[in-house]
Amino acid sequence: MKRATAVGGGGLALLTAYLFFDLVGDWGRMAGGVDNLLVFVRESLWPPNWSVLQAQSYPVCEARFEFTCSVAWLGMVETLKIAFVATMLGFVLALPISVLAAGNLSSMPVAVPARVALAGMRSLPSIIWAVLFVIVFSIGTLAGIFAMTFYTVGYLGKLQFESMEGIKNAPLESAKAMGMTRLETAWLVAIPESANQLLSHVLFMFEYNVRHGTVIGLVGAGGVGLYINTYLKLGQYDKVVALLIVVFLVVLVIDFISMALRSAVNEAGDVERPSWSSIFLPASIASAQHPTPMGGTVSDEGE
Amino acid sequence: MTEPLVHLHDVAVGYDPEHPLIVEVDVEIVAGDVIAVLGPSGIGKTTLLRTIAGLVRPLDGHVELGVAPRGGVGYIPQRLGLVGNLSVQANVEMGVRVGLSRFYPPFFAVPKAQQRYAERAMEDLGIAHLADHPVRILSGGQQRRVATAKTVAQRPKLVLADEFLGELDDDNVDIVMRTVRTAIEAQNSAMVMVEHHEALAKQVANRIWRIQDGRLVEELSR
Repeated sequence: MKRATAVGGGGLALLTAYLFFDLVGDWGRMAGGVDNLLVFVRESLWPPNWSVLQAQSYPVCEARFEFTCSVAWLGMVETLKIAFVATMLGFVLALPISVLAAGNLSSMPVAVPARVALAGMRSLPSIIWAVLFVIVFSIGTLAGIFAMTFYTVGYLGKLQFESMEGIKNAPLESAKAMGMTRLETAWLVAIPESANQLLSHVLFMFEYNVRHGTVIGLVGAGGVGLYINTYLKLGQYDKVVALLIVVFLVVLVIDFISMALRSAVNEAGDVERPSWSSIFLPASIASAQHPTPMGGTVSDEGE
Repeated sequence: MTEPLVHLHDVAVGYDPEHPLIVEVDVEIVAGDVIAVLGPSGIGKTTLLRTIAGLVRPLDGHVELGVAPRGGVGYIPQRLGLVGNLSVQANVEMGVRVGLSRFYPPFFAVPKAQQRYAERAMEDLGIAHLADHPVRILSGGQQRRVATAKTVAQRPKLVLADEFLGELDDDNVDIVMRTVRTAIEAQNSAMVMVEHHEALAKQVANRIWRIQDGRLVEELSR
């Protein structure tokens, strides 16, 4: 390691430690903190109250499966609907703004205001957008959709214009030399070239929006968060935990689905991944366990 | 006298005004020219091509283009400039699009009448059977033929190609050069190609520009 790198790294570590101790100030406040947490978990949070999975007593459930009248189902389905609509609207709105913001597609006088607009949308946390839209549309899903759409545009726009700036130069140069318009270059070159990443970002944003459904619901913007907020106000923390576990499981499922979809469009999906055994076991044993798709073994590849 | 397609007036080529790569380039390109630019690596051949294409501003002098800014120049960069996620047909049709009005929406399909230029170019270069394949899955040689088809379908007055014969075998060099030559003759246009293979360049070109000691020297004109 070079001396300058070592000094820089050490200085950064010292600054971090100094700021941390400066922010904490009085360490005495931590006394008994862990015990307090354990008491709270034992007495209020655990075990989760799974009645949230049972049909509500009112209105009377007429559905074939009673589970579909439960708080967890109704809240989660609404959150998924809000997240889906907001992600799609956000994507459609973010795409033209990200084209304007990309430095390789637009001139700086156009790109800078577009970036400022995106930064503005990102700088307000989702919960503040939700508060604003609850004031405009009153409590309900419409406020949730608008709040999510706004910060989706802010985040997705930034991710997208960075992807577009990362594409190879040759297709853009060829388009410019041919005399293609900016709109043609964006639509026929930049967007298809960055399509894999754009899709990946949309899937990530959908996951993110499902998770954030709990947050914006806290201010009455619909979805499962609205129920979580109600239980928090009533002090029914065991039901809150049950709903959070449901949210976690749904997010996990979405994560797996989006992982599968992303690997289908990414070139990385074409590449065979190394198995754990090929990393940790000797080649002769690993190849016996994991023959290659062509019928050979791992050791054949080098021949 | 034939009007030049491009006239370089005392052009200095490069990126750093203090250290230009080539100076005092004063040449004309006229219809029918097939010019090979030769010289060792890093001497400024590609930069010269990019300057003619309007991608790099000359450090001195100016480039006078006698062709339409839209569709007049076809450029095949060293890395081909294809869109890997799009099909062969969509890439080739990009060449056709610049022959349409600049207000023709890019999300509309190319009109049937113009589509035949793309189809013809793909047939001539032997890639019609790959029309629906995404370009990223093709071999280097096939991708070179797609880039050529895109330029042939464009029907430009000036073709600029940067080492595009590189990865082709002898048969494919013949196919590509025959198609390009036919297109150039039909359009009464010209071509400037940067080439490393001197023998190949001398075989296909009717003018040779050699870059040496920061100057452009015309070696052959037939």
